[in-house]
Amino acid sequence: MKRSKGGGDEEAPRHNGSAGRRKADQQQSDGDEGGSDIGPADLQDDDNDQGLRREIRSKYRDLISSVQQNREDMLSPSNNKLTEVLEEANKLFKDVRQAREAALDAQLLVVATDLGKEKASQLFSEGTAFDPTAFAEHLLSFMGLNRLEDDEDEQQNTANGYLPQDAWHRLARRAECCFRTAPSFHYMMGSFYAEPPPPKQRIERQRKAPSKEAKRIMPTQLKKMEESQQEATEKEVERILGYLKSYYQDDPTSPISYYEFVIDPSSFSRTVENIFHTSFLIRDGLARMYLDEEKLPCIAPVEEGEVEAGGSTSRKQCILSISPKIWKELIDAFDIKDSIIRPPNTQND
Amino acid sequence: MTQRKRPSSTQSSSQRRHTGNLVAQDEDDDATFTQPSTSQVQRGLEKLTPAQVDQKTAEVVQYFLVKDQKKMPVRRADLVKHVVKDYRNIYPEILKRAARTFDQVFGLKLVEIDPKNKMYILVNNLETPDKASPVRSPSNPKMGLLLAILSVIFMKGGVVRENLIWNTLRKLRVDPGEKHEEFGDVRKMVTDEFVRQRYLEYVRIPHTEPIEHEFRWGQRADAEVSKVKILEFMGELHEQDPKTWTQQYRQAHSLPNSSQASTSSSSQR
Repeated sequence: MKRSKGGGDEEAPRHNGSAGRRKADQQQSDGDEGGSDIGPADLQDDDNDQGLRREIRSKYRDLISSVQQNREDMLSPSNNKLTEVLEEANKLFKDVRQAREAALDAQLLVVATDLGKEKASQLFSEGTAFDPTAFAEHLLSFMGLNRLEDDEDEQQNTANGYLPQDAWHRLARRAECCFRTAPSFHYMMGSFYAEPPPPKQRIERQRKAPSKEAKRIMPTQLKKMEESQQEATEKEVERILGYLKSYYQDDPTSPISYYEFVIDPSSFSRTVENIFHTSFLIRDGLARMYLDEEKLPCIAPVEEGEVEAGGSTSRKQCILSISPKIWKELIDAFDIKDSIIRPPNTQND
Repeated sequence: MTQRKRPSSTQSSSQRRHTGNLVAQDEDDDATFTQPSTSQVQRGLEKLTPAQVDQKTAEVVQYFLVKDQKKMPVRRADLVKHVVKDYRNIYPEILKRAARTFDQVFGLKLVEIDPKNKMYILVNNLETPDKASPVRSPSNPKMGLLLAILSVIFMKGGVVRENLIWNTLRKLRVDPGEKHEEFGDVRKMVTDEFVRQRYLEYVRIPHTEPIEHEFRWGQRADAEVSKVKILEFMGELHEQDPKTWTQQYRQAHSLPNSSQASTSSSSQR
């Protein structure tokens, strides 16, 4: 290699800073900076100028960190950044006087040489080079990336487009063709419930029994319990049911969006309360939630006699979570101006 | 290994000749376990009923299958300590029978991925399908991520610095610094889980400051993953003939992909 700036297999001799560097300079320079000999005049002033020393050291450190941070950038065969770094270092080296700076110079040389070695191996490898960036782009397309605009600026690598939900699953299925993974062993019907040792069992049964009975008689006892302890909640739930029914009766054919129903655009805490109370309606089978064509949740009251609370129809549970940020986004998305459920204080009973 | 016909054997099926990586005549000592000699095994077998041996074999098979759920390799020391126990004097025979069961009943192969530390895994003995199975079974998205990582490592010659992997993942919208909605703690998954499963090796590069590591294929990857198929996939993605990557093509086709025990992996580095 003519311009062995990176060193290739032979690492530039690392004697103490100056001697080794002079020799390497003569190998490296293409005639632009022929002599890097130190003149006698420089020795007196620069030696002790602390400011200059610090500056040199700081510049070396910058160079080193720039090589480390932009490693992949420098590896790209399309630019000469590594050469520029070395030329910069050459310039700096002229002013090096003390061991500390020379040590930094040596460190830079180690880092740059390492990079150069990798660049050299890129040059020598036969066949097409493999570019991980291009690979990533192709993979994204494979996984079904929906690019938003037709003209993307690929160099900028800005995140544009959505990856579908099953993106990684698509790749996983393709991976099945490359892997000889043993299928994982699972019992087909699941495992049977192994009985715990007797003492535990007794305790568990005791605990279980009351809750089961409690559940069964809950519908009748519920009112009593809540009146004594949670009267307010019960009343609130009924009030909300009233809103739901009247809203529904206004137009039985048009579905009520769940979000529009529960969200109070003026108060996040009220929204959370509404969600909480509405969940009781669902639990007791007085309202039902479903997804419309656009997969948005809607809520509707249940006709009397259609479903019995605690009945045998299949129950589905879900957990709802909301944060102030999501709440605001929903208000914007659905353009909610005022709340369907009026806050209790403003309502005259 | 030579074929042996045992007089008291109840199995009529012919004894398979396993590839040498299984019950090698090695003399190296485990800290807690010395491989019994063939004569010791013979004597041990004579003292037990066939039913006992079958039972013990079945227990070993079960142990492996459960351990394989998480794709964790099985250590011989653990196997002997927890399952084989008193039957350790006929350990090689039990392992041989277990391997036969895996092969004939489950279509799996028992592979020793680490002859030094005596670790085993199960791989599929069936050929990899040419395209995805028409059966819609749930797929594990982690395998997709693993494929991406293994591909990069292979195409880059077998070793890459960790930053290359992290940067590539970032371009795939997976940031190791953030919690990913599908994978969670990505860094932990890649440097801990995949490494313990032996899909990857994550080794510190000496003399680096700050500390850097490099990634290589792990022993399980060597046994399970087909380089030929990966190269085919690269060809599809880049719309190129896999042969254009001459070095990688040569590497992929240099060894038969079926039994890549750890001994062969060193020649690929």
